[in-house]
Amino acid sequence: MGMKIEDLTVTFRNKVTAVNHADLEIPKGVFGLLGENGAGKTTLMRVLTTVLSPTSGRVTLDGILYTEKNYEKIRQKIGYLPQEIDLYPGLSVQECLEYMGDLSCIPRQVCKERISYYLEKTNLSEQRGKKMKQLSGGMKRRVGLIQALLNDPEFLIVDEPTTGLDPEERIRIRNLLVDFSEGRTVLFSTHVVEDLAATCNQLAVMKHGKFLYAGNMKELLEQARGHVWICKTKEGGTVRELEKKYHVSSKQYTGEELQLKLISETQPQVECSPCEATLEDAYIYIANKER
Amino acid sequence: MTRDMKISLTFPKQAYAVFFALVLSLVRGVAYSNEIGIALEAPMAILAFTFCADTYTQEIVSRRSEIWRLCPMKKRIHCIYRRIAVQELFLLTVAAVSYGLFFLFQNPITYGIMENGSESEMCRFFVYLATMAVTLGFWGILSNLISCLFRNMWVGIGGCLVLWTITNSILGDRIFGAWNLFSYSFRNLEDSSDFSWIYGKVVCICIGILAMAALPAIIRKRG
Repeated sequence: MGMKIEDLTVTFRNKVTAVNHADLEIPKGVFGLLGENGAGKTTLMRVLTTVLSPTSGRVTLDGILYTEKNYEKIRQKIGYLPQEIDLYPGLSVQECLEYMGDLSCIPRQVCKERISYYLEKTNLSEQRGKKMKQLSGGMKRRVGLIQALLNDPEFLIVDEPTTGLDPEERIRIRNLLVDFSEGRTVLFSTHVVEDLAATCNQLAVMKHGKFLYAGNMKELLEQARGHVWICKTKEGGTVRELEKKYHVSSKQYTGEELQLKLISETQPQVECSPCEATLEDAYIYIANKER
Repeated sequence: MTRDMKISLTFPKQAYAVFFALVLSLVRGVAYSNEIGIALEAPMAILAFTFCADTYTQEIVSRRSEIWRLCPMKKRIHCIYRRIAVQELFLLTVAAVSYGLFFLFQNPITYGIMENGSESEMCRFFVYLATMAVTLGFWGILSNLISCLFRNMWVGIGGCLVLWTITNSILGDRIFGAWNLFSYSFRNLEDSSDFSWIYGKVVCICIGILAMAALPAIIRKRG
């Protein structure tokens, strides 16, 4: 059944509306959440984890309505990795995870088995005796992810899980999330477009608290098709003019020339050729369609 | 329990508590042994409310509270109570050791009902220890409660400091009398049979129990 969000609005006391009449359905599997800083992604996730109560609207998880009465039931189904978290610096990795497991009422033996399994999966087995304060940022992030997976949640919410990870570790974490998503829902919020391209089939693009797009990744790419152009130039003046007029999704020196990738509704008024849109191009196109 | 100790009894906290007790026993002069309790009660209360203010708020500061919210309420509350207990036990040990340090550094005059004074001295020590258990417990629980209510340990410390200043003053003694939170410190030293100061400690126990009972509702509401 997954998660269903209907006409959700979150307005803070300072009158800022972080989520504005949003509708979304999150099916099983890895679901990507993409958006600029301040788009409302974290606020949305805080509502989904019951940390924050919405101003209006309706949210259901597997048919269970988000109300104070049902929070305890919903919380048992959720695993959450917040954007920023500082796990107990004085505890070792093993102790910290056991402590979190105990808090979640996971039987001791099951908890130990899961910890060993996920430490192995995240390449942290050798660090289990190290204190949390001795770990690098990327390692701490991975421990944070393990704590979110410990209670074997049906709905996993991860906010920027790959921040601070090297390419190899990022791949490892992405693969872990894909494996974990079998029969479950993983809401994967990130700024790193390539992480989503490698893991999910469905995604939503958020801006100013609203969903600009929600659906299949292929369809998103399809929408951007014909709006991505490559042009080459040697003149600095032309580059500045193009940057003013269009969204430039990439810039690269190829010998003497500068190759620009432009996102434009219509063909730019310079010598250019159409090219295949990547997810990043599609995101830029969707996010700036009105410009 | 060991993990709760590691979380809530960090080395800096232990160090400043011991240092505080050591300095206090060196600089606070007492002439008679029955003055030691008076010398220790109010300062140890400060230690208790600064010590326990971050019992739960450290979860908020470190942004772990959002994960805590997903855990069953009963577990969360038990965990907080465990942490308070660990800290209070540590402070009580510090209070007991401090009593001994006063004897060591100040060499106060002992006197008692018994000829050698030993029995009454022991009795006095146990009364002191029981009183300190109540005092430390009260201020620790109160400071944690206010901190949780405002999600800020400094508000907890500040709130307790205001109450401490009021009750640990001549004005507080005049207003509340035997019902004052620091009634033990304001007791009549000349009359050892006067136990009316116990009313003040009963007030501490009652407020402490109420605070413990209110904690789950505050944690549920404020996270």
